[in-house]
Amino acid sequence: MKRVALVTAAACLYFGAAWVAAPGFFDGIAPPEPYRWVSPPPELRSGNQPPLSGHLDVRVGANGQVDPGAAYTGDGQAQLAFVPGAFAPPSGGTVSIDVTPVSTYPPPSEFALSTNVYLITANSNLQQEALVQLRYPDGRPAPANLYTAPQSGGAWHSLASTGNSAPFVISARTKSLGYFAAGYSSAKPPANAPKVGGGQTLPIIVAVAIVFVLLAGIPLAVLRRRD
Amino acid sequence: MSVSERVALDARALGIAAFVLAVEWARALAERNQPVPVLIVGGMALCLPALGFRAEQLGLSGQALLLRLVGGVAIAAVLLLPTALRGGGGVAASTGFAAAAAIAVSVGEELAFRGALYAALDTAWGPAAAVFGSAAAFTAAHAVSHPLPELLPLAAAGILLGAWRWAFNDLVAPILGHVLTDLAL
Repeated sequence: MKRVALVTAAACLYFGAAWVAAPGFFDGIAPPEPYRWVSPPPELRSGNQPPLSGHLDVRVGANGQVDPGAAYTGDGQAQLAFVPGAFAPPSGGTVSIDVTPVSTYPPPSEFALSTNVYLITANSNLQQEALVQLRYPDGRPAPANLYTAPQSGGAWHSLASTGNSAPFVISARTKSLGYFAAGYSSAKPPANAPKVGGGQTLPIIVAVAIVFVLLAGIPLAVLRRRD
Repeated sequence: MSVSERVALDARALGIAAFVLAVEWARALAERNQPVPVLIVGGMALCLPALGFRAEQLGLSGQALLLRLVGGVAIAAVLLLPTALRGGGGVAASTGFAAAAAIAVSVGEELAFRGALYAALDTAWGPAAAVFGSAAAFTAAHAVSHPLPELLPLAAAGILLGAWRWAFNDLVAPILGHVLTDLAL
């Protein structure tokens, strides 16, 4: 019984962790959560959830370098990861980084957006490259590159892609902060990304699984105990 | 146990951990362009460490098989429940190839982490090291492919699957649970 209790405790621990940090257990090849759009396509407007922002404060370490870290949005759609010393040490001793989905930005001219546009800002400049990762939605053309534009305004340019991302995640290295988005050349749209199903199927599957476990598992366990 | 035997067991556990992490990280780096073939090949590579163990050492027994299969469905239900309650999530791989990839990688991961690595850690340092060590390796394996916040539930899932492996000396249910979960997501 003690072992069963520990497994149950582990299940509760998992449930709590997966509830706090979506999407929970996921290592498949399709995005588990619907993409959160700032401006959703018409067919996705009804179920769209607003995208979340992120904030990170990073200290200057004892060696005088800004600590490494990763600033990410609450929904995991955008992330900035950086190594020790990537930011110049600010006078206040703490680097504050914000990652915000935005609705106003310099209009992209040579590429079509596959994702939201994120504005990444900090109170200190980058002095080494940092890695930007953006998740992109399924069911739409997959982005070919990550693009950036300065916060002060100006043209977008391609950061290309480092290729070291999971499916439905694109990443690239940047030397400066500003606006970031993933997209593909307007002149040459890529093939559509793989599609997955959706809707109410998953809750139904889980409900059937629970009923199955109760109906089959309890009698089997009782029989085994008698044996 | 002699010192040399002790060192050999430690080296085996660390060697398996290093191999499994190398395969997982290489898979994560390579799968963006060709996800399905990379997942299938990566999943098969993850099965390799299990070849050094007997089926009983891996928790692969035919005893009480029906109960183990029901346990697998129960694990899948627990793993999927938060996503289902949130109402999010795509369901089911869209093609046979995608399904094959999901099956290959989930079977490979279970044989690697809760099978070979768990058995090696258990022999070297005991069950607590096996449960938490395999969960830590499982989390680290996904560090390249997953954003930081998503590693928390993966770590907790690693502990849950490892705890099941310890409590029931069973790998059949974690394999089935992992396969069903990957197919559903």
